[in-house]
Amino acid sequence: MNNLIALIVKEVKELVRDPKILIGVILMPILIFPVMGSAIQISQESVQRAVRGASFAVWTNDDGFVTDAMLDYLYTNNTVVPIVADSLEDALTLFASTDSSAMVYIPEGYNDNITLGRQGRIKIYANLRSLNMAETQSTDLVSNLINIYNYYFSITKIQNLLTESGGIGTALGYRNPITLDYASILKGSVLEIAPSAIFNLVMSQSIMLPIMVMMMVMFAIQMAATSIALEKEQKTLEILMTLPVSRMTILGGKLSGSIVIAIAGSISYLIGFGYYMNSAFSFVPEAMSMNISDVNLGITPFGFLLVGVVIFVTLVSALAMALSVAVFADNVRSAQSFTGVLVTPIMIPALVLMFSDIEMLPPTFQYLLLIIPYTHSIIATKAAFLGNYFVVLRSIFFISIWTVAVLYIAAKIFSTERIITARFQLGDLFKRSRR
Amino acid sequence: MDITGIAMGYAIQAENLTKTFGSVEALKGASFNVKENEIFGLIGHNGAGKTTTLRILSTLISPTNGSAKIFGYDVSRQPEKVRQIFSYLPEEAGAYQQLNGIEFLEFMAGFYAKSKSEMNTIVEQGKLISDLGDRLNDRVKGYSKGMLRRLLIARALMMKPKLAILDEPTSGLDVIQSVNVRNMIKSYADQEGVSILLSSHNMLEVEYLCHKVALINQGIVVAQGSPEELKAEYNKPNLEEVFMEVTHNE
Repeated sequence: MNNLIALIVKEVKELVRDPKILIGVILMPILIFPVMGSAIQISQESVQRAVRGASFAVWTNDDGFVTDAMLDYLYTNNTVVPIVADSLEDALTLFASTDSSAMVYIPEGYNDNITLGRQGRIKIYANLRSLNMAETQSTDLVSNLINIYNYYFSITKIQNLLTESGGIGTALGYRNPITLDYASILKGSVLEIAPSAIFNLVMSQSIMLPIMVMMMVMFAIQMAATSIALEKEQKTLEILMTLPVSRMTILGGKLSGSIVIAIAGSISYLIGFGYYMNSAFSFVPEAMSMNISDVNLGITPFGFLLVGVVIFVTLVSALAMALSVAVFADNVRSAQSFTGVLVTPIMIPALVLMFSDIEMLPPTFQYLLLIIPYTHSIIATKAAFLGNYFVVLRSIFFISIWTVAVLYIAAKIFSTERIITARFQLGDLFKRSRR
Repeated sequence: MDITGIAMGYAIQAENLTKTFGSVEALKGASFNVKENEIFGLIGHNGAGKTTTLRILSTLISPTNGSAKIFGYDVSRQPEKVRQIFSYLPEEAGAYQQLNGIEFLEFMAGFYAKSKSEMNTIVEQGKLISDLGDRLNDRVKGYSKGMLRRLLIARALMMKPKLAILDEPTSGLDVIQSVNVRNMIKSYADQEGVSILLSSHNMLEVEYLCHKVALINQGIVVAQGSPEELKAEYNKPNLEEVFMEVTHNE
């Protein structure tokens, strides 16, 4: 036990004190993500400021009390740039010379049409100078203003007609005769929440989880491969293998040391990514109004335990695989190119399952994905959130079998002379194929 | 347990060792014995089979045929017993770059010590042997080749192993550093009665350090004895010429 602890401490010291690992794995995520988030936040805020301060132009070619009422409404509480022109052509030329991105044009006949119970037409011209978000948003702002006016204007007109004709009912009842309400049945209970809202919420979780698992496994693979390759590069492996300590303890030390760094890297990634999501999407209000426990999707302690087991067995198998492969590398650089090959089967299921469920895929593709053990890691973490513990346990069983197999191979390599004599470079493949 | 080796006072008994790597025959039947408290030198060209022999004795690789015993323990069948009583210094070995000298010695001592006080004793011994003073508090990555070699030899000897196997102990060192390292090995072996097996292609070094030598060529031990015996047998003034004579005739 003491030997194992000594080996773990040594592993952690060696890895953490290496500036490349300290900066790349632990410090970078915690520094880079907040910077990215702040950059997005700054650009979003400047768009919002630009929209709030946006002025719009108005040109009317009509008169009458209905037109005046609309003009009054537009001029009150808004910064309006009045355009004085004799023709639409002149008005548009003048509009182009202002800072405004939108111009409201009230054409001749608007007043008469509305007075006679017909539809009045208003046109909005948008001046797209640099095609940025603020330009389209100021057009939306004017549209919204007119839509609000339209709504209350129509309600008032219906109300007046009802009063004049002595009809029954409410103005709203005539304007929108049908209203749609939504409810969702989830895990047997009925929730007065639209399915799209729940879907959005679960979607954010189902994207985060595969990213998390994928990142952690990738960090761990990198750490384990680097740690064994460092032993070879620094020429310490031969000494290590002649010490009075079992090869299994050495393997255990390497696995545990790499897990410690991978967990530190993942926590750093999670903190950084959380900060990024918060700051980058802080302008999206609905995301804040509901959380996962409101919709009874909160994970139970048992579910948490199972997710922990899934992540643990996934990590151990990925690490054992990385160690077995990195043994064949001469130095850190070639070990990392080997791990590049290992990372692919982890990336594919994570990327696919981020946007889709396994059941939604074509059967052949499903089977192909299910062969990859790391598909089960992602399926299991998603299933834990939905309380499908059978699926989680089935995945744990599958990954565990894979883990035992990989550990057996790693143990075999560590207990034989292969660990000393094995040499393989990616370039060898090309040399062989040339021959 | 076979204690024949101990009874006869042998640190190493290597019999007819062969080793093949694919189609390459690195050892073709090497045999030699090293007595207790003896400094034994293995001399040969690059690629003669020295390192393969040392790796077999160090339990890193197994012989294809033949047997090797260290203080009576079979290196293939009882490697864990062997690892408790010997230490190995590979050629061009390194140390953990991100640890400082003391941390490195402490890490290594931890595998041999049964208590904290025993560990402190071993580390103190390591400090003495290395003679690196305050530089032991610096990270290994800042060490010169000579300092690193001193640290590694201290690591190999500090726990007073019954046998130390040193592969090219002065490899890559300048003249002054080599002399220092040789003196370090000799005085420690004399003081502590440690058996040492070392390999070298530096005949002067071997003549200075070793009580007995084996000349190895193309995977076979072609001659062995004390430097004086070999010089007399082949009527040559030094080991270098003995070696040339023996390998030329092969």
